[in-house]
Amino acid sequence: MVQLLDVMEKALNGKPMSETDYQLRRFAPKVMEKVREHKIKFDPSNPIQNDNSMADEVFEAGLELLLDVGAYCTTSGRVITYTEAEIKDQLRNAPSKLHFGEGRDRKALVNRKVEDKTPPWCLLGAGGGPCSSDRSFLTLVEGYAEIPETDGITTPAITRVGGMRVRPASPLEVLAAQRNAVLAREACNRVGRQGIPIMNSLATAESDIAFAAATHPKFGMRPSDGYMICCMDPMKVDFARLNKVAVALSLGGPIGMCFGPLLGGYSGGPEGTAVSNVAHHMMGILTYQASWLLPFTIHLRYVASSPRDMLWVISTMGQAISRNTHLLSINLNYTTAGPCTPMVLYETSAAVTAAVVSGLSIESLGVATNKHEDRTTPVEPRISAEVGHAVAGMKRSDANELVRKLLAKYESKLAAPPLGKSLYECWDADARRPSKEYSTVIRRYKAVMADLGVELRPEQ
Amino acid sequence: MSDDKILKDLQNAILGYDSTAAVRAAKAAIAAKMDPLVAIEKGLAPSIEEIGEKFEKMEIYLPELMLAADAMRAGLALLLPLIPKGSKGAKATVIMGTVQGDVHEIGKNIVSSMLMAGGFNVVDLGVDVKTIAFVEEAKKAGAKIIGASALMSSTIGSQKDIVDYLVSSGDRKKHAVLVGGGPTTKEWAKEIGADGCGMTAVEAVKLATRFAKGK
Repeated sequence: MVQLLDVMEKALNGKPMSETDYQLRRFAPKVMEKVREHKIKFDPSNPIQNDNSMADEVFEAGLELLLDVGAYCTTSGRVITYTEAEIKDQLRNAPSKLHFGEGRDRKALVNRKVEDKTPPWCLLGAGGGPCSSDRSFLTLVEGYAEIPETDGITTPAITRVGGMRVRPASPLEVLAAQRNAVLAREACNRVGRQGIPIMNSLATAESDIAFAAATHPKFGMRPSDGYMICCMDPMKVDFARLNKVAVALSLGGPIGMCFGPLLGGYSGGPEGTAVSNVAHHMMGILTYQASWLLPFTIHLRYVASSPRDMLWVISTMGQAISRNTHLLSINLNYTTAGPCTPMVLYETSAAVTAAVVSGLSIESLGVATNKHEDRTTPVEPRISAEVGHAVAGMKRSDANELVRKLLAKYESKLAAPPLGKSLYECWDADARRPSKEYSTVIRRYKAVMADLGVELRPEQ
Repeated sequence: MSDDKILKDLQNAILGYDSTAAVRAAKAAIAAKMDPLVAIEKGLAPSIEEIGEKFEKMEIYLPELMLAADAMRAGLALLLPLIPKGSKGAKATVIMGTVQGDVHEIGKNIVSSMLMAGGFNVVDLGVDVKTIAFVEEAKKAGAKIIGASALMSSTIGSQKDIVDYLVSSGDRKKHAVLVGGGPTTKEWAKEIGADGCGMTAVEAVKLATRFAKGK
């Protein structure tokens, strides 16, 4: 097993290389080479692909990519390489099941297979979306914790302390990250789900010092929570991220590496992005010592997971991973549209369907590209989870038809999506339910989904 | 070598993402006593514009865009010093960087490359750039524009620090500050007193063009 000290040894003694040379002259051409060699081809007419041999080729290409290019440490300026035996040994020893949470909220995240009837693990919330205030943070997290399907919480990010905007790696970030932990736990306590795990390891903690400070048990984090650490695209790490790894390991918390190779970025088009995602999974269990993975590839132009080529990437890399490994992989999705619009619900339905039938679990979600303060509500993750449960066990061919019909409803609007309404414009915090207007939108959406063959819970 | 052949070589070097070929063609232009402005405007510029358009349509991706920008930079390094002062050259100098505390570089790299494609001289300071470094480098390079990128909601506060520093030091009118990156919005730019927010790389180039002659 490759362990943290092995990673450090490799990071200190690997081949010296500039960051530009690694990503432009080593990584990018090798991705293209693997796509060519394995004859991987995006098929726009089938966004959820149904070809097992293609999925297996993508897996092999990803494995070869990691073998050929390794990871890159930006602090030491060296390439971290792994042997095939190290990669395969780490894959073999990675867990296929992990428990998170406490008491009656303690549940098992399990490996899923293509077309698996097992419901996906539903990591629900804002995926680090920005909040304007403690009030909106609490409103959102209480709402997430009340969703029946919620297996874990992905919190929003606090952006202000004492009226001051958070500054990175400063006392403001440390204090904000600590409050993120305290408030997230408090919100779960308020709605009677004290044991629910928080799994995005405090969205406000970008720096290693804030991460270390806020994950101190004094602020409510537990070993049964998830300790998420984000990788830099493509396949990069630095000492600050490895500091986070050391801290999380010392706390006994299972590390989840999140990674987002951009479609259109260093990995190229959809084919290269699928291959890169597979390589990142394996790189994560090695370099970041991850025991669960969190891919969140997004589209360079639309900053979302819902475009047609993105759905193909999700389904293809999901099938590649779930057919060839027992890794625990949770796909995070972003929409372009905002709350109180039918489009946001259609977008997340398509991305969730692509992930779930391809063997992945779900983290939902970043709404309206996750950049606007308070432009998210508990509705969008709830609907995502309902869809995730409803499509578990669906055949890929049926899912492909479903997704094509959903795409027809929103694809032409991706370039200029409706931003919808902000949190308190369409969510009644006292009643803990959506506004009348949003409820009407949801009922109509559910009627459409029923016509498409997906029965969701009746809306109150 | 004919002027036409030299211009074609300059164009092909960019379209072939080839820095070595760009240097070779630029040296050929100098040896042939070609007006350096002609070499830039008729040789390098049309190709890098074509690259920018292809990237916008996602016909090519980030590695190709950056390699083409590298080739452009290599050619310009030889040709720009030969342009007499006062002649038309680059539109303006832009200081680019990802703000203090943030190590994400993709958005910054895209905008830097697209600015070069748009005829700007770009000084790229890299990632995790201290506030004072943005300001001092802008002064040193006589840059009219500072471009500050940030990807995280926990790091965009550093964009405000650049504006505040310029205000406090009495230099605010000397430099336009343009912000961009994942969590930035036009409302945020307005709130912190920045001069604009590029929601896309194309918009960033348009904004830079507007401020090329200063605020």
